[in-house]
Order: sequence, then structure tokens, then C-alpha cells
Amino acid sequence: PRGGGGARGGGGARGGGGARGGPRGRGRGRGGGARGGARAGFKGGKKVTVEPHRHEGNWDGLGYTGRDWDGLGGDWDGLGGTGGCPLPGVFICRGREDALVTRNLVPGESVYGEKRISVEDGDTSVEYRAWNPFRSKLAAAILGGIDQIHIRPGAKVLYLGAASGTTVSHVSDIVGQDGVVYAVEFSHRSGRDLLNVAKKRTNVVPVIEDARHPHKYRMLIGMVDVIFADVAQPDQTRIVALNAHHFLRCGGHFLISIKANCIDSTAPAEAVFAGEVKKMTAERMKPQEQLTLEPYERDHAVVVGVYRYWVVLGCTGPPPKEK
Amino acid sequence: MYIGSKSVSVNLVLFKIVCCGFFPLQVLNEKKLQEVDSLWKEFETPEKGKETAFLVFLFYTASTALVEGKLSKNLKKILKKIVAKDAHEQLAVADAKLGGVIKEKLNLSCIHSPMVTELMRGIRSQIEGLITGLPSREMAAMCLGLAHSLSRYKLKFSPDKVDTMIIQAISLLDDLDKELNNYIMRCREWYGWHFPELGKIITDNLMYCKCVRKVGDRSNFASSDVSDILPEELEEDVKAAAEISMGTEVSEEDINNIIHLCDQVIEISEYRTQLYDYLKNRMMAIAPNLTVMVGELVGARLIAHAGSLLNLAKHPASTVQLLGAEKALFRALKTKRDTPKFGLIYHASLVGQSNTKNKGKISRMLAAKTALTIRYDALGENTSAEMGAENRLKVETRLRLLEERGIRRISGTGKALAKTDKYQNKSEVKVYDPSGDSTLPVVSKKRKIQEVDEQDTEVAVKAKKFKAEMKGWLLYLCCCHVIVCIVQLGLAFTASHSTWVFSSGMTVCLKKVMILHRLTPDCSQDYKQL
Repeated sequence: PRGGGGARGGGGARGGGGARGGPRGRGRGRGGGARGGARAGFKGGKKVTVEPHRHEGNWDGLGYTGRDWDGLGGDWDGLGGTGGCPLPGVFICRGREDALVTRNLVPGESVYGEKRISVEDGDTSVEYRAWNPFRSKLAAAILGGIDQIHIRPGAKVLYLGAASGTTVSHVSDIVGQDGVVYAVEFSHRSGRDLLNVAKKRTNVVPVIEDARHPHKYRMLIGMVDVIFADVAQPDQTRIVALNAHHFLRCGGHFLISIKANCIDSTAPAEAVFAGEVKKMTAERMKPQEQLTLEPYERDHAVVVGVYRYWVVLGCTGPPPKEK
Repeated sequence: MYIGSKSVSVNLVLFKIVCCGFFPLQVLNEKKLQEVDSLWKEFETPEKGKETAFLVFLFYTASTALVEGKLSKNLKKILKKIVAKDAHEQLAVADAKLGGVIKEKLNLSCIHSPMVTELMRGIRSQIEGLITGLPSREMAAMCLGLAHSLSRYKLKFSPDKVDTMIIQAISLLDDLDKELNNYIMRCREWYGWHFPELGKIITDNLMYCKCVRKVGDRSNFASSDVSDILPEELEEDVKAAAEISMGTEVSEEDINNIIHLCDQVIEISEYRTQLYDYLKNRMMAIAPNLTVMVGELVGARLIAHAGSLLNLAKHPASTVQLLGAEKALFRALKTKRDTPKFGLIYHASLVGQSNTKNKGKISRMLAAKTALTIRYDALGENTSAEMGAENRLKVETRLRLLEERGIRRISGTGKALAKTDKYQNKSEVKVYDPSGDSTLPVVSKKRKIQEVDEQDTEVAVKAKKFKAEMKGWLLYLCCCHVIVCIVQLGLAFTASHSTWVFSSGMTVCLKKVMILHRLTPDCSQDYKQL
């Protein structure tokens, strides 16, 4: 039996959702709960409620207790259910229209002009920022129904392809003050905007370097838990693998956003995705989930996987090479 | 070192580069280097990590050299120390290029292999345990600081080009103006209780405060010398008013407080001028082309309104034209009326010079060229002001053309040119005034009516011209003042008593002058006595 599958649900601090085996090509678009588009129409004074993000897979209707994800294996609510997992740090705001929001680390500031929502919480008021899935691949993936993004409060994230820092700011909101986001961006124009974002948020470390040469910024980055890559380059798998060998801890996860046009504009999208997945496995990166980003993007997919997964299993080494 | 199944026991010195410096680490147990793949196990916990690698010493140094793979001075120093200690050892480095440089400069053989990468990973994951005496918070802060400075170095960040200064300076300027106005009004009101006339005589605010500060109580005005503050006529007026002022007396303490307030006002005024100079300098440094186009104040206000120079550069020219008039714009759009034609741009000198009809056109042209200069300033590499000067020249030429077109039609014929002002007859009709025939002093109604008639028609009547060579005093008595003036040679006047014509060509017009004695050649003798 493959070392992936069932044993993974049992062991390890960060088990994936439920008992699943092998990479799946799940191309479903997210249906339920019409997550309203970019602009939530929150008029002033309208009553809005913010609740933690939960998959619709949790059909037994139990409320999320707000407990931290503390690695209870597959059984996170103690009921033995195998429903989907909530994404800690990500919330849904319900009002006239629903929106995906994150809790603002710097209350009162809007990074790229997005809507901010203030919710009274007893004496204090908490501010949330709306997350636009048309601008951010990560938001599109979450709304598409990804199981786990592995970016959670306290995590260390290496973000390749940070651009102007719009999604980076949301990731920084999720990881909170205890976590760190290392944002790597090569372009100078975007780098300036990224620097401005990093000025306001102390958990973002800006790196203006080419991600193809991780040894050039090795002194700035410690070991990370998650790598998120949105670089849009033909050799992006190699780039991610290089960075993973340098900085990603064993058992760490990666999320790669693949643009089919960018890798090979002549081949059909599914073939491109399959090719990328194959490249990943060769580099000791094991893909676990694949999700297309319909309806927010065309011919885009996000692949989530684990790096050197045999650590998690407690095995001594990689499985013997298959014929 | 291990390659495949060969085993050579060697003392490895690992070279680890972290944000705070170099860490030469010594590998203690070479046997563990056997299997590359299981190396990660050795670094699972800090204790295990310590068994495997031992920190030699710590050194802080600059990282910009490292990024490019060059050797900096400090680096050379430590490496020389290592070479001195154990010459036969090998140095493991993560960067192949750096390894090459070290080898050629210091003759230290370097290794770079997958095993090395694994070791590096292990050490990186346990870096806190290996480096004693450095808490993780400090480490994080150092990493952040280093990342920021490296990024700034990469982006060639220069502190002159920060537009936050401009925005803050212009806001402060506005605040200062408001405060200054408040204080000055208060000062005037307060001191006006004691000496109200001063407020009406001295209109300039700063002069007022300086004057009050110097003199204090009203009674000191006569004795004090305020010539350095006030011009002479004002000084005289003030001194005169001080004598007969109708304000009340105030005590020493009150005067002291007023003087304190004046001190404040003077200080703030000086600071304001200083701030304005500072703003001008910064504007020239940050956005020279914009300054040339619209001036420093308007340029600074545009930047402050948009939030930053880069934001301003993102606006299209039509927005630049209407920045500052948003309320009027959206009101007009909602009620389907005409939208405003200018916002903050209105205060630019080019728009101010044009006639009311052309202001709209000029503001649009100016906004278009200004948008170009803003983009050039915000995103361009050079910082010369040539482009701004060229564009300004273009707009000025257009402005001149527009005004000329108002006078001359472009496609006009002779008929159009001929349609100028309506023809007005300006010929002078001279009528003989018989009043000068008789030299007897007669003041009759008829004459007065005649005079009034003459004045109404506005036609100069010259009956008889008297040329009186007058050298002497002309006594001119008025209700309370006696003004004596010397009349020079060649005085001639017309019989209407309304003009005195000096033979040198000057005309002094004195209407409704009460002349006690009409000057006739006979009377001239009398006046010579005076």
C-alpha cells in the first residue's frame, strides 16, 4: 500500500482533511453559498455578521467552537465526522452580500482600496478586510473549496511572486503577529509597493530578489512551513523545488498556482497541469490536491502538496522507486 | 567527505550565513554525514543539532557583498583565521560562486554538494539552538531590518524623493495660517481695547504685532522709535493718534500678556516663511517639472490631495483638472447640470492670467500637460526640469493664440475686421464764454447755472486764459487746516475755475475748490504781500 493515504490521517500534527489517497484532479467549481463578488455592498450601519470560514461539507450543522487547530487527527470536532475542515484565520462576512474577509492586522488602513468592515465585539470593534477572489488566486482557491491552505495563525510562509503585496497583506493578516511572511518579488515597480506594505506590517519581510537564485537571499529567511508560489514562469516548478530544498522544512506544504498559458500555450490545460504534477513528484514534492480556479480565472489551477512527506509518516526514507 | 560509498574522514568546517553574520560551524561527527537523506534526523531537535555541529565563532558583517558572491574584508579576516588554525580542512559553502572566490583568494578548498545543502537545512532549522545568546525576537528583528535595508539598496531608495514630507509640510502650512489668523485677530481685539486707532492705521498684521511688541503701552509711543518697523507716514499717524486715542488705560501685567501673544505671533510668522522655503526646496527636489508647470503651492496641494506622487500619476488628465472640486462635480453629475471646469488648478498662474472666457480652455490644456509632467516626475529616472519648461512654453503659446483670436478672427474677412467699436465723435467744440469779459467780481445765478451747464456737457470752455505769473504764496483756508503752498512760475487758469494749468504742461484739476478770492491779474499784487 502506498505510504500516502490512510496513515497520513492518523499520524502527524497537521493531517490533511480526512482519509484521502493520492493526488486528485478535482475540477469542480465552487457552487454553494453565493460568495458575492469583489464589491460587497455594505452600506453604512447595516447589520453584518462575521463568522469563521467553514466548508459546506460540515452538514451536521455544528457550530465551530473556535478552538485552534491543534492536530486532533482527522477528527476535529470530536464527533467522528469526516466533514471538511475550517480554515482558521479566514472568515466570511454575511450581510446584504457575502464576502470573504480576513482580520485586519493594521486597523484603519486599506492596502489596495478594498472594503473594510467593522464589527462590534462587546466593547472593542474588530476590523476585517474584504478579499477579492478576482484579484487573488488564494482567495479564488478558498472560495473554490480547497481543503487546506496550511496558512494559519503562527505559520511561517514563503511567498514567491509577491507583486504589489495585495495577497501578501491578506496572508499576513491570517498568520498574525506570531507568524512571518517572506515576500519575494523581483520587479522594482512592484517592489516599491511591496516595501510600503512591509513598512506597515512588521510580519512581512520584503525580499527584492530573483526567486530562481534562493542562495542570494539565504541569509534573510529561516525555515518555513508553507511555500506559496504565484510566479507565472515556465520553469516555476523548478523554482519552487529549489526554494523548497533550501527553506521548506520536512513535512512542510506548498501551494503552487499554475497558469496553463504560461507553461505551454499550445497544449490543453489539463495536460499542462498533469505535466507539472509529474515534475513535482520527481522533486520529492507530493501533490495532494488540485483545484481549478473557475469561475474567477480561466485555465488556472492550484496544486497543494507536501514536501518530504515521509517525515510525517515516521518512515525512515522515501518509498522505494516504483517501476 | 562522502561521495557515494567512498569514505574519507575529514574535519569539515561549515560556513553558514545568516542575517546577523557568518557562522563558521564545525562538524563534529563525520560519520553522520554518511547518508544525505537521513541527515535531517540529526537536526530534529536543538540538542541533537548541537551534537553534530559546533559553533566556532560569531561575526557580524555586511551582506550586500554576499548577495553578489563577493568577498568582503571581514569575511576575509575570519577565513584567514580558520586557515591559520587547520589548514587541511575543507570549507563547505552554500554558494558555489563564493566558494570559487574563496578558493582563489585564500587557497582554501571549498565544497558545494547536495550533502552541504542538507547540512545547511539542518542548521537553518536549528539555528536558534546553535547560536547561543541570541533570542529569537532579536533574530527576527535583525532579519527584518536587514531585509528592508537590502531592498532599499536594490531599489535605490533615496530619502529626498519621499513625498510624505511635502504632504505634511503643506498641511502644516494650512494649519499655521489658520492659527496665525486666529492669534492675530485676538491680538488686535485685545490691544484694541487699549488703543483702537492703531488697528485701523496699520493694516499689515506682522507690522502691527511688531509695533505693539516694541512699544507696549500707548503712552510710550511718542518716546519710542518705530521707524524700523513702520514707514514714516504711518509712524506720524500713529504718534498723532496715540495722543488723542479714546482707548482705556491698562495695567503693566495686561500689557505683558499682550506682548507675550505678539511674541508668539511673530515667531509663528517667521516659522511660516521658513516652512514655505523648505516646501519650495522639497518640491523642486521631488517634482521639478510639476513645479515649473503650476508652481510649488498648487503642485504640493495636488500631491497632498491625491495622497502621494505615484497616486497622482495614476490619475488621468481630466481628474487632475478637477481635483479639489469633487463636491461640485458630483452634485452637477447627479442633477444633470454643467460640471465644473477647474479644481485646484484654478490657482495656477497660467489660469489666473487668462480672461474669464478662456479660463476653462486653459485649465484643460494645463491639466493635460501637467498630467504628463507628473508621470514623468513620479516614474522617470532623471530629475531635470526641461520637460516641464517645454510644456509650459507650449501652454503659454496656446494662451497667447487664444487671446489673439479674441481680437482677430482666424477666418475673418475685411467686414469682420471692420466690426470694431462703435464710432464716437470726439471733436471739441469751443464756445466763447463771455463771463471773462467783465473784471468786476460778480457772482450771479446765471453764472452758476452756466458753470453747471458747462460742467455737465463736459466740453472744455476756454473764454479767456489768464496767464498770471505768480510767484508767491497761495493761501488756502479750509475748515480746520491751514495749508500753505508755494505756487511756482507760470500759473494759468481758465475762467471756469476748475482747472489750473501749469505752463510746463501739467494740469491740476481741482473741482469744487473753495477759492476765497478769484485770482485776477489785479489781485496778484495783494498776494505778493502774503
